[in-house]
Amino acid sequence: MNSLSVAVEDAPTGPVVQVMGDLDYDSADVFRAAVGGLAVPPGALLVIDLAGLTFCDSSGITAFLAAWNHARASGGDAALAAVPPSTARILHIVGVDRILQVYPDATVAAQAASRGA
Amino acid sequence: MNRGSEPAANGGRGLGSAVDAAFTSLLEESAEDLYENAPCGYLSTLMDGTIAKVNGTLLGWLGRERDEVVGRMSFSDLLTVGGKLYHETHFAPLLHMRGEVNGIALEIRAADGTRMPVLVTSVVKNGDGGEPLLIRTTLTDARDRRSYEAELLRARRAAEEARRQAEADRVRLQSALAVLQQSLLPDTLPDVPGLVTATHYHTASPDRLGGDFYDLFPLGEDRWAFFLGDVSGKGPEAASLTSLARYTLRTAAAYTADPAAVLATLNTALHDRYTSGEPRYCTAVFGVLQPDGDGFDVRVASGGHPPAVITRADGGAEFLDTPGGMLVGILPDAPFVGAHNRLEPGDSLLLYTDGLTEARVGADRGLFGEEALRAFAAEHAGGGPDGIVAALVELLSGFGDGLNDDTALLCLGVPATPDAAAEGKRT
Repeated sequence: MNSLSVAVEDAPTGPVVQVMGDLDYDSADVFRAAVGGLAVPPGALLVIDLAGLTFCDSSGITAFLAAWNHARASGGDAALAAVPPSTARILHIVGVDRILQVYPDATVAAQAASRGA
Repeated sequence: MNRGSEPAANGGRGLGSAVDAAFTSLLEESAEDLYENAPCGYLSTLMDGTIAKVNGTLLGWLGRERDEVVGRMSFSDLLTVGGKLYHETHFAPLLHMRGEVNGIALEIRAADGTRMPVLVTSVVKNGDGGEPLLIRTTLTDARDRRSYEAELLRARRAAEEARRQAEADRVRLQSALAVLQQSLLPDTLPDVPGLVTATHYHTASPDRLGGDFYDLFPLGEDRWAFFLGDVSGKGPEAASLTSLARYTLRTAAAYTADPAAVLATLNTALHDRYTSGEPRYCTAVFGVLQPDGDGFDVRVASGGHPPAVITRADGGAEFLDTPGGMLVGILPDAPFVGAHNRLEPGDSLLLYTDGLTEARVGADRGLFGEEALRAFAAEHAGGGPDGIVAALVELLSGFGDGLNDDTALLCLGVPATPDAAAEGKRT
């Protein structure tokens, strides 16, 4: 088991949340607390950078959807970046890759967001 | 000793003097005074119990004068009724037998009737020829000890009562949870002619209400509906969502036999119910079975659920793919994808929740995964639903703490031979 850590950076296009470690039932609250406190202005993109993600179960999927709800509540949006293959497979099964935009990495996500804006 | 000219020693002189005085008074203390005013009661009696000598401390406890006690009362006269009885039946016989008795708890009764708990030690003094002469007894004040013991006892009773109450609450809660859990799952599945069914439900922890559900029920005369799903979250909130999902699916199925339309109805119900805050959704497979020749025609739709597995009579196994089905309850107009297939004799349809495929196995704690499940099901295809589920139950128990989510299994199969169908109906 790899304990979860979450780091937040501010990009011009909106907050970038780096998720490192295992995102599961026991650790999902850490991620949700970090994201729940973020300001996502109207038009901004909350990027969830999963390059350091080592495990993700359905609690993690729920947490991504909660982040998406949080961003949309203030007029923003959320996207996933650098999704590991095992998580991408689960996202595809549950259809979440059609709710949240998925980008190869956080930089590309930010570029896409600035083009959109 | 101390020199007055040394300031550092001045402070010591006063202390030294006090200690000296204490020593002097100790040395001057007479044995008589020690006896009379000892911090315990002293008593000497003849062998028949008649009091021959008593100290001032004990007389003070008793509230009596020396001359009304000495030669007039016996030891047992100083005791309460219960104490007298205990003295006669236990204390005195033991003392005569062993020559001494140590630390027996008794109560003495003072002249004004008040009682006082004491610890009694008695020793028989023998003459030169070994014949018993008299009994020497000490009585120690046990009032503080008694109240301490009473407090301990009271605290222990309170703790025991609290523990008993907590245990009763736990049992009550557990049985309430079990009843609720049962309401989320059917007790038994109906007999479907020509179909064998097997199920399994594993709760990750006995205190966690399940978030998985399944059911099988008739749709009119000759069709059967089934579903299996998994709600987000755990605990009571998940259970209430499970209940809503289960009854919505059953109701929706009464109005349409199109699996995708049934899931769309559930989607609307969940989305309307949980529009804000914590995402609440479920994944589900819903299907309809219709007898067709010696097999069954099966139509399913999936909402965000891992694909069902069909094992074939020849030992193969394949996914019943429903790609693109969306989680149920997240989007107002979610697409649900249907699939169509046929179960021939010897074929089985296995539905499962992701507790199985998301179990973390092996040294690298990797996910068990759908592909490993497909291969495993293929190995056990010949066992039919009962064999497949039994093998999976054994597999699950081998996962140990790698299995940290609820897991539901529903397996529907067409027996390879009609005899086996009759067999299956009885189970």
